[in-house]
Amino acid sequence: MYLIRLALASLANRRFTAWLTVFAIALSVCLLLAVERIRTETRSSFASTISGTDLIVGARSGSINLLLYSVFRLGNATNNIRWDSFETLAGDRKVKWAIPISLGDSHRGYRVMGTSNAYFEHYQYGRGQALQLAQGQILSDDPFAVVLGAEVAEALHYQLGQQLVLAHGVASISLSKHDDKPFRVVGILKRTGTPVDRTLHISLQGMQALHIDWQNGVPAQGKARISAEQARGMDLQPQAITAIMLGLHSKIATFSVQRQINEFRGEPLLAILPGVALQELWSLMGSAEKALFVVSLFVVLTGLIGMLTAILTSLNERRREMAILRSVGARPWHIASLLMVEAFALALAGVLLGLALLYLGIALAQGYVQANYGLFLPLALPSRYEWTLLGAILAAALLMGALPAWRAYRQSLADGLSIRL
Amino acid sequence: MSTLIELTELGFAWPGQAELLDIPSFTLQQGESLFLKGPSGSGKTTLLGLLGGVQKPGRGRIRLLGTDLGSLSAGAREHFRVDHTGYIFQQFNLLPFLSVAENVALPCHFSQLRRQRAEQRHGSVSQAASALLSHLGLVDPALQARRADSLSIGQQQRVAAARALIGQPELVIADEPTSALDSDARAAFLQLLFAECRAAGSSLLFVSHDQSLAPLFDRSLALSDLNRAARPSEF
Repeated sequence: MYLIRLALASLANRRFTAWLTVFAIALSVCLLLAVERIRTETRSSFASTISGTDLIVGARSGSINLLLYSVFRLGNATNNIRWDSFETLAGDRKVKWAIPISLGDSHRGYRVMGTSNAYFEHYQYGRGQALQLAQGQILSDDPFAVVLGAEVAEALHYQLGQQLVLAHGVASISLSKHDDKPFRVVGILKRTGTPVDRTLHISLQGMQALHIDWQNGVPAQGKARISAEQARGMDLQPQAITAIMLGLHSKIATFSVQRQINEFRGEPLLAILPGVALQELWSLMGSAEKALFVVSLFVVLTGLIGMLTAILTSLNERRREMAILRSVGARPWHIASLLMVEAFALALAGVLLGLALLYLGIALAQGYVQANYGLFLPLALPSRYEWTLLGAILAAALLMGALPAWRAYRQSLADGLSIRL
Repeated sequence: MSTLIELTELGFAWPGQAELLDIPSFTLQQGESLFLKGPSGSGKTTLLGLLGGVQKPGRGRIRLLGTDLGSLSAGAREHFRVDHTGYIFQQFNLLPFLSVAENVALPCHFSQLRRQRAEQRHGSVSQAASALLSHLGLVDPALQARRADSLSIGQQQRVAAARALIGQPELVIADEPTSALDSDARAAFLQLLFAECRAAGSSLLFVSHDQSLAPLFDRSLALSDLNRAARPSEF
């Protein structure tokens, strides 16, 4: 115990360099843990984007492309699916439920998705969690109703009953707006941490009504225009949709249904298993995530090497201290232990300060990160894996401390009791 | 009076060098104060290292309190030294980051025996430190609690003396402890050191090149007379 007291007093005597060392280790530990946490959360939020859906069907293209536009609202579909194809698939006896999805419009940078109420009933994310309403209700018979994702409502400060205008296309600044047919907010969903939060949901009929007077990709002019009131009275059955999400009665049938869809005679279709496509997509991003982790490991190593340098350079100027300790009875292994204690104390202080910085950082950035990246960083105690990392850092510090300890041991044996300047 | 140190036919050479020490016979009695004149290069540091058990003699015997140091293992020699020997060096003897009182108490953290003796005589280690410091003229408790490097050199040497004496080691080895002091301080320091050594019953082995101090001691010797290996060219 007295050795610890001596080591700390000696460190306190060199507090400026000691604090710098601790701070360097703390920053590196904080970085490592932050990367680790973001990595874990990204992976789990990524993997939990969609669940419960057995197959996603779209026009024939790549599986990742289909996953990106149907689930992540990224990119565009290459082609549409005819409505009668949807009806055929939805009527198949192996299919339990089918969600039609129609994409292509946006509102202030957020994607608009036309769908049916089957979406609110069957779509699941995370571990089989269903979508829940925070306020209002799901889509009604009125074609001009919209249900907002949590982030849309929060970021744009929308409330129930508010009117909003959708824009044609998906550019965040769109030149053509559907300003003749405003939508009314009827519901706001609870936060899910998935792309659902960033989506505006309207009915397929609403989607159809928006484009009912459009021809060749441009709105009709003058008398050909159809007002919202007129549209309400018309047949709003959609002719085409963008993608379909399917739930099957039996998981075992998944592959046979997939094959059946891929060989569909009506039009070229592609069916994918969301889990498999998610994995494919993650393996694309996974190497970047691993690289980030490796980089932060090296930053920790740099911090520890900084500590090693600080201790080693202090050895020479502390020969007197060592000789005095030897003359009052410290044996060489005492001197070596002093240096081990010193290395451990520096690393421990660094780890603790790093943890403090991490929690401070999470507390400050939590709201911002969730609002901007849809990533929830919990203010949770370190996981078992994180404890292991921290333990490994301390062990590495001890291992590194062995080097100056060994040198001091040799030095104090050679110097004996004589004080050399 | 019994014999504290006894050297017989002691020889020592650093590896690859000529023999540095060759001492046929030397004794120091318990309670005796001895002035050993040793200019630098005369093997003084090596002799003190041997007495402290840091090195092992090449040949011959060193007996301290009847124990042959050469027969002990390195660890046991160290242990033996701490229990029975206190050291005072030239200057900067103290750990600057500890208080004056903590510096004095240091040997009691490494020697069980000296801790016990300090506790027996003064009740506790800190009381022993405080009493010794007071005897050596550092009475003020505030001063005893100050950082060691805030004291003057003369005061620091007295702290070092208190540290060498705590727990009443049988032997106090002082290696040029007064060389940094002016002549008045030197005499005052020696008087205090003698008094305390007498009170603790410790022998004092005082190594210095300042011959003027020699008459103050029970006995005075020149290392060059003791050591047959000493070459005349060095002094």
